[in-house]
Amino acid sequence: MRPSAALALLGACVVAALVATHPLTLAVLAAVLLVLLLRAPWRRARLFLLGIAVSSFGLFLIFPLTAHEGSHPLWNGPILPGPIGSIDVTREELATGAVQTLRLATVALAFALWALMLDHDRLVREIRFARRSVLTVALATRLIPTLERDAAGFVEALRGRGVVVEGLRGRSRLLAPLVASSLERALTLAESMEARGYGRPGRAPVERLPFSQRERAALACSLLLVVSSLLWL
Amino acid sequence: MNAPLASARRLSFAYPGGELPALSDVSLELEPGELALVLGRSGSGKSTLLRALAGLVPHFHGGRFSGSVAVAGLDTRSTAPAELAGTVATLFQDPEDQIVFERVASEVSFGPENLGLRPTEVARRVASSLAAVGAAHLLGRSTRDLSGGELQRVCLASALALEPQLLLLDEPTSQLDPECAEAFLGLARELARERGIAVVLSEQRPTLPLEICDRVLFLERGRLLLDAPRDKAIAWLEENEPSFVDPIEAAPAHDGEPGATICELEGIGYAYRSGTSVLENVSLELRRGEIVALAGPNGSGKTTLAKLACGLLELQEGRVVLRGRAGYLSQDPGRYVVCERAVDEVALGIDGDLPRARRWLAELGLGERERRHPRDLSSGERERLGLAAVLATEPDLLVLDEPTRGVDPERKRELGEMLRAGSPGRATLLVSHDLAFARSVADRVVSLAEVGVPVGV
Repeated sequence: MRPSAALALLGACVVAALVATHPLTLAVLAAVLLVLLLRAPWRRARLFLLGIAVSSFGLFLIFPLTAHEGSHPLWNGPILPGPIGSIDVTREELATGAVQTLRLATVALAFALWALMLDHDRLVREIRFARRSVLTVALATRLIPTLERDAAGFVEALRGRGVVVEGLRGRSRLLAPLVASSLERALTLAESMEARGYGRPGRAPVERLPFSQRERAALACSLLLVVSSLLWL
Repeated sequence: MNAPLASARRLSFAYPGGELPALSDVSLELEPGELALVLGRSGSGKSTLLRALAGLVPHFHGGRFSGSVAVAGLDTRSTAPAELAGTVATLFQDPEDQIVFERVASEVSFGPENLGLRPTEVARRVASSLAAVGAAHLLGRSTRDLSGGELQRVCLASALALEPQLLLLDEPTSQLDPECAEAFLGLARELARERGIAVVLSEQRPTLPLEICDRVLFLERGRLLLDAPRDKAIAWLEENEPSFVDPIEAAPAHDGEPGATICELEGIGYAYRSGTSVLENVSLELRRGEIVALAGPNGSGKTTLAKLACGLLELQEGRVVLRGRAGYLSQDPGRYVVCERAVDEVALGIDGDLPRARRWLAELGLGERERRHPRDLSSGERERLGLAAVLATEPDLLVLDEPTRGVDPERKRELGEMLRAGSPGRATLLVSHDLAFARSVADRVVSLAEVGVPVGV
């Protein structure tokens, strides 16, 4: 399937995830996307899966403690000063937390599929509008493995000086240098792109091939998913 | 008389916030088909000159610009770099930082597509430029899976696909082994002679480029000190800048026998996750007081062996015995700086011992830079900062991975002297493509063949 059709499907899933309120709808969407993601190379997919699992689980834990809704308390905790107020967990908070968690997981899974399964090169060439934005997002997506490599480089360079980087706190100290390093990379890349004519008017015309039946079906499904999520889900 | 292909007239330029001009009153002309070699120390303005010829200075970088640069009749001040792209092509130093797409075919077609060419013409240019650099077989490959040498060829093909009249190469061989570097420079010469492209090449390993160039430009602190044909230039360099032409002498033998064994590697085998074997049954002994250089082609496992010696990689096969502490200077150490001040960067590995950190900064010629942010230092200074940070830990085994990348001959000489002076107190393992430097510093050179088997000790 050409990437623009796959992108339409992923986009429809994201819209549906943001609009739908029924947990079953969200669970089905998340499950389908998860099954697709498991077809990606495991070495690359595991980082995304770990991130999705940690952020989703974190949201599920924190949400009931910070939300204030429902009349069926399951646990009553202390009252904290400031905006947090009473720490309690109700049945309704758990239900809303589960919906929000599924929503986050679905959006994150769709992004992981975009990052790992879509042919960004073809997408940039295929797309007829907002090509610069698509290229920017594709380049930003490519930054993820680059950041991963850079982080390993930082840890190795520090270990080479006898500095051990351990735990969340140790690794969080690398965040600012990592961002600085990726900004430097981005500048070099931008310079190289400009030197190769990026941004000059009159880019090459794209060969426009007709959509196959499968791709048309994917586009129709995307439209149907968006409409049904807006109306019924 | 015909107008030159490119010319700079009284060109001066200073980067935004720069105290000193990066280029000062530079005038030169370039003719089609000539290969001009740009030499000079780190920070002398070589890269800036190339960027000025590409129009990236001042358009991309900003700054103060005076004088004029014209390429094929186009004034670079009134013509954006993207509009010069069909006339000028630039190959930057680090190929990894220039890659836009995931596949080689898309990468090489990016430039011609930006020029607005028809798809059939784009396809023709992609095929012919990849063939010209001997990389036609890489067409369907992912850019992510290519070696440094292969990436550099793809980047050159991307530049050639623009069918430029002026090709600017900024230290293109800094990551290549000697064989690849020779092939690459041969290709540059061929492009100049057979296609009539004017090639401007900046290099820090001048030996080979000096053999193939037509003309030499020498920059010092932004000023063009020399612009002469090759033979005259060599005579000038011998008299004024001998470090750029002097034959490298082998390292003098150390007095006495090397000391105790610091690191013993025995029967080392290593394979990547993909199953590709990179080292097979390699053994090496490193003794206190000796400097061992590890040479070999790209991908022969030099860095892997060096990391295994330091304990930075998990051992898969064989035995490593390390007696004492190891210090490792990674490739491109200037990228991996984490602190806000140079002195803190050095102190990080020695429990915050600032006086000791200052001593090492001074030793590496960075005494006056101790309060500067490491990312505000020049690339050469950042490399030295990385070295200071490792040396300050006073390791028993010092491992340096390509420490001369982007380092000018004068600094190389100083680095060599420093390594020799400090060598009695430690064992030193030097991984380098720069064979001339390796021979000038090391007591012995160990070559790794393609599968990581030592072939010459």
